[in-house]
Amino acid sequence: MARIPLGCEPVIGSLVPSKKRDYRVTNRLQEGKRPLYAVVFNFIDSRYFNVFATVGGNRVTVYQCLEGGVIAVLQSYVDEDKDESFYTVTWACNRDGSPFVVAGGINGIIRVIDAGHEKIDKSFVGHGDSVNEIRTQPLKPSLVVSASKDESVRLWNVHTGVCILIFAGAGGHRNEVLSVDFHPSDMYRIASCGMDNTVKIWSMKEFWPSVEKSFTWTDLPSKFPTKYVQFPVFIASVHSNYVDCNRWLGDFVLSKSVDNEIVLWEPRTKDQSPGEGTVDILQKYPVPECDIWFIKFSCDFHYNAAAIGNREGKIFVWELQTSPPSLIARLSHAQSKSPIRQTAMSFDGSTILSCCEDGTIWRWDAVSSSSSSSSSQV
Amino acid sequence: MASKASPSPSASRSGSLKDASMAKADESAPVSKEIVSVIESLKRHVVDERCVSIKERMDNNRHKLASITSHLQKLSKERRNSWINFADSSLDLLKKRQDDAIGMHSGIGTSSSDKDSDSDQEDSHASTAVLLGTSIPPGKNSVRPIRLPEVKKLPPYTTWIFLDRNQRMTEDQSVVGRRRIYYAQNDGEALICSDSEEENVDEEEEKKYFLESEDYIIRMAIKEAGFSDAVINSLAECFSRKADEVKARYESLTKEEKTSVDSLNVDSEASSLNCFLEKDLEAALDSFDNLFCRRCLVFDCRLHGCSQDLVFPAEKPPPLNRPDLDNLPCGEHCYRSVSKPEKVATDDSPELGDTKDNSVQPSSGSAGTRTSVRKKHTPCARKKAKPSQSESASSIVKNMSDSSDSEIEPQHTASTSHLSPSKTKLGGNGGVSQRNSKRVAERVLSCSKKRQKVVGSDSDSVASGSVLGGDGKLSSSPHKENEDANSSSQKHAKSRSRKRELSIQNLQGEARDGISSGMVTDPPGNNSDVTLRKDDCADGNSCEMALNDNLSWKAFEKSLFEKGVEIFGRNSCLIARNLLNGLKTCVEVFQFMTQGDKRLAYQAGDAANSLGDGYSKFEHQGNNEVRRRSKFLRRRGRVRRLKYSWKSTAYHSIRKRISERKDQPCRQYNPCGCQTACGKECPCHLNGTCCEKYCGCPKTCKNRFRGCHCAKSQCRSRQCPCFAADRECDPDVCRNCWVSCGDGSLGVPNQRGDNYECRNMKLLLRQQRRVLLGKSDVSGWGAFLKNSVVKNEYLGEYTGELISHREADKRGKIYDRENSSFLFNLNDQAGWFVLDAYRKGDKLKFANHSPDPNCYAKVIMVAGDHRVGIFAKERINSGEELFYDYRYEPDRAPAWARKPEATGSKKEEPSHPSGRAKKLA
Repeated sequence: MARIPLGCEPVIGSLVPSKKRDYRVTNRLQEGKRPLYAVVFNFIDSRYFNVFATVGGNRVTVYQCLEGGVIAVLQSYVDEDKDESFYTVTWACNRDGSPFVVAGGINGIIRVIDAGHEKIDKSFVGHGDSVNEIRTQPLKPSLVVSASKDESVRLWNVHTGVCILIFAGAGGHRNEVLSVDFHPSDMYRIASCGMDNTVKIWSMKEFWPSVEKSFTWTDLPSKFPTKYVQFPVFIASVHSNYVDCNRWLGDFVLSKSVDNEIVLWEPRTKDQSPGEGTVDILQKYPVPECDIWFIKFSCDFHYNAAAIGNREGKIFVWELQTSPPSLIARLSHAQSKSPIRQTAMSFDGSTILSCCEDGTIWRWDAVSSSSSSSSSQV
Repeated sequence: MASKASPSPSASRSGSLKDASMAKADESAPVSKEIVSVIESLKRHVVDERCVSIKERMDNNRHKLASITSHLQKLSKERRNSWINFADSSLDLLKKRQDDAIGMHSGIGTSSSDKDSDSDQEDSHASTAVLLGTSIPPGKNSVRPIRLPEVKKLPPYTTWIFLDRNQRMTEDQSVVGRRRIYYAQNDGEALICSDSEEENVDEEEEKKYFLESEDYIIRMAIKEAGFSDAVINSLAECFSRKADEVKARYESLTKEEKTSVDSLNVDSEASSLNCFLEKDLEAALDSFDNLFCRRCLVFDCRLHGCSQDLVFPAEKPPPLNRPDLDNLPCGEHCYRSVSKPEKVATDDSPELGDTKDNSVQPSSGSAGTRTSVRKKHTPCARKKAKPSQSESASSIVKNMSDSSDSEIEPQHTASTSHLSPSKTKLGGNGGVSQRNSKRVAERVLSCSKKRQKVVGSDSDSVASGSVLGGDGKLSSSPHKENEDANSSSQKHAKSRSRKRELSIQNLQGEARDGISSGMVTDPPGNNSDVTLRKDDCADGNSCEMALNDNLSWKAFEKSLFEKGVEIFGRNSCLIARNLLNGLKTCVEVFQFMTQGDKRLAYQAGDAANSLGDGYSKFEHQGNNEVRRRSKFLRRRGRVRRLKYSWKSTAYHSIRKRISERKDQPCRQYNPCGCQTACGKECPCHLNGTCCEKYCGCPKTCKNRFRGCHCAKSQCRSRQCPCFAADRECDPDVCRNCWVSCGDGSLGVPNQRGDNYECRNMKLLLRQQRRVLLGKSDVSGWGAFLKNSVVKNEYLGEYTGELISHREADKRGKIYDRENSSFLFNLNDQAGWFVLDAYRKGDKLKFANHSPDPNCYAKVIMVAGDHRVGIFAKERINSGEELFYDYRYEPDRAPAWARKPEATGSKKEEPSHPSGRAKKLA
């Protein structure tokens, strides 16, 4: 790793918890024996802010967080293919607003489940290999983007079931794509990262007519003229190993590799020469014992905090937008030992869910700081 | 992916930085503490500023983000409302479940709350989706798992996109190669063993440029602590750079303060441009020669590799000869527009027209060039004059030798034979002195530049009729002209030696004398005149000299110019636009060309010759022999070849074939480099292949495939020699074959023959039919036709990795185990290649075997390469599945591919693949 030159050092957060907020385990449930790879709250529809979905093995399950740490199972879906292993799930909705659960995994088939009618709505066949992450466009929640082992990123419309764009080719990823995220405000922009150690920022501005067209497509989805986006607008080499999670934080990007830290950096593109630019690493959020790949973090709705699990079952909750970054809390429990693949923060960050390699879901709830006995914190 | 393994945990790097720098500071203890403290404080200052700026940016970002998220929140609320309004009729099960859950929770709610303290529940290891602790158990009406019907996965199928890395992959995954691939047992995934090139890549040289912050510290530290070695050393330590680097940086910084930043940038730009121009064309083209495939027209082609010998055709194509459609100037710097004044002068002289072999319209562009060829003597004279000027009053012989040295083109072409005695003597003088020639060339250019400026004033003054008589005389007696030139040059030399004392006026007089002695024609008359004058000026004014040097022709530009003449003929507009764009203007090219002509003509001593084939003069001698590749590449090429020619192992997996015949007609073609008509020893002849257009031999070669002359038949039957020989037509070879392309917006090719397009170029043009992939009626996946076709229609190409037989045998073992057959014999067994479509190929690889097929495969020679085309054996309707006979060798065919009588059902799936099969071509 290159030496960081003077005057460009990132601000590194301290691992001493600020105790702004305390969390306690309020529930734990065993979903099955197969590892759970993803858990995600519904941020699309305010009615369902307390509803979340998990995936593991060939199973997609929808839960609800209730008062007092209660978790209720709402729906459960099982893929008939026993070999399917879902890796990722996200919430979306069609144009009518019907809630959809979109999941993908080792088979490379993206399952679009209409949760409002409890049936499979569509299956997107297209990815040539396993799907590692699916994310929803917050402004247009009919659009989902998927990252796959086949080195491509694809943009889909769950409403019409068409594959709109494929981000791959000459300038694309050179290895599995592990993570992808929509820019919160700039609808044209996505960031993807993967096993080629790079983060690539893509723009679909030129292809937007195609995206518009996808909403009104009435013909067979296979007849839709899918376009290729071959060149990203920016390629960042921030990490020197697999980059397994990236999220936009405004115009900045949060990304993590297997270096025990989340990195916040600013992409500075050069207008005249697309694809080039510099990276300014602003802040680092250390996460000890987080050196295996496929551990993803999550933010609350307002991006105030991010929660990330580690290899040993601990969770670190970072305040994202302060400088220097401060650790809100470090959550650990004697029985939480297995790697946490993903966390989910509720709308206001008061509930944190974690899903583990051993198939358990943990629920942590914020307690009012005065009454906290801090027994759950080490 | 089941095990998301942890890559080697890399040590945490955070925080170590500061320590390191502190340690360094400690090491430099002998350096006075003062300096260190100064530097440290500066560093701290920089770091603080950085923190502040980050904080600011974070704050800005937060404000932005806050508005974004609140907007999103609003959206999500709207969604709820719209849903309620819109779809209250339809049932929202999620909502219903939610309500149910809440209802139930309120029922059991309180009892659960005390359990959910610090979860001390034990795992009950329930295997189903069982909830522990406080959760609502699935009620009677809820949470029965809903089945998602199985959807068939895509078969492993890779489209071949012509990317460099795709080509590389082929090599990387070679079993034979250095890297080993292992096939994972369960999913057939190929894993490449570690030692890939990427890992061996050296740590990239750390960039050594200085950052703003470092500059700041350097400046401030030296300001505060003074400039001393101690300071520099401690600074260097602080930046972990070398002391002299820091020193140099400081010096440049102080300099920078004086001069503006802009000028610095300009300097660096200029230097980078220069270093590019310093290269000569040979060097610049090295990668082109070595890596560009002449057959595929791509760099680093993996099909033919970089082991190809460079073959230069014996006969050069005629230069692009476009009738000058537009005699309009090509731009504002076109010679046509700029050289008007000269032209006027030419027009004025009636004799000039007489001396021409074919009287040309003076206004036309070609006339311009023609005349320029004529006017060849001046520069010679001038050149002679010039060296003599520098070495004042040298002998003629010396002068001559200098002038010969100054030839820019190493001139040993046909024209050499016409050299006058004096010239050959000069030739004996030996090699071309590069420096000299360069200098002279620069002069030439600068002179011409100069002339350009003065033309207006001089053209009329010198373009006198008296000169023209000289021209006439010259052309009538070339030899005499030469002598004349010599004598005149002598005079010139003298005039030069005297010149210093003379005024410009006098000089002109001298020049006119020289001219009247039968040396020069009109516009060059100006030229010589101006030259003299210019040189004179240059003597006095070195400043101007330097300026002119900048405008001179670099070796690189000259070679480009030579190439240009080769390609475009004597068309300065095209040369300037296509090859020297941004480097030279059309006028400059034109002048360079005319002057070059004059020099050449002088050398040749034969005006007629130079007139005859102007462009051949610029031919480089080296072009006529096969250029050698660099040693490294040659060696590499040999190794590759060796690799492919290893003896096959005893095992032969089964492969698809084109025909049942044992001896394959297909022989791998390699272009020969014969420079004369191929005889018995021609490699093509020995190999049993025809010579192709890529060979070096002339078109008259007996071994050449001559192409066809078909007109109306459209090359679709065996009457067409190309078709009969299983070849595609080639517009370069066949006389009448052509196709139109596109909608004509890019221009229509010249229609040949009787306007019938050739139908035998489908592979070359990739005019395949749309093939669909679908579930086969027979087994696994199959290929289907989208639109119906008639008999013998070309459907598509069977593509894949081109691998050696040895590799094919290794892979075949693996494929056979999976009972998939993607190998296709391409060339003869002993020779070269097998097509492997397992990982890469197009959809036609999914076409299944049938002993009673509707398609057939055929190996076709396309531009020197063998390719497999799939053709319709009969009329095929849209949506039909495609089959062809894999033609396995009978003894090796798997059960399902045996003849019907052998196995009963023709398309029976084998339960145990007993044999191992390769398709044979």
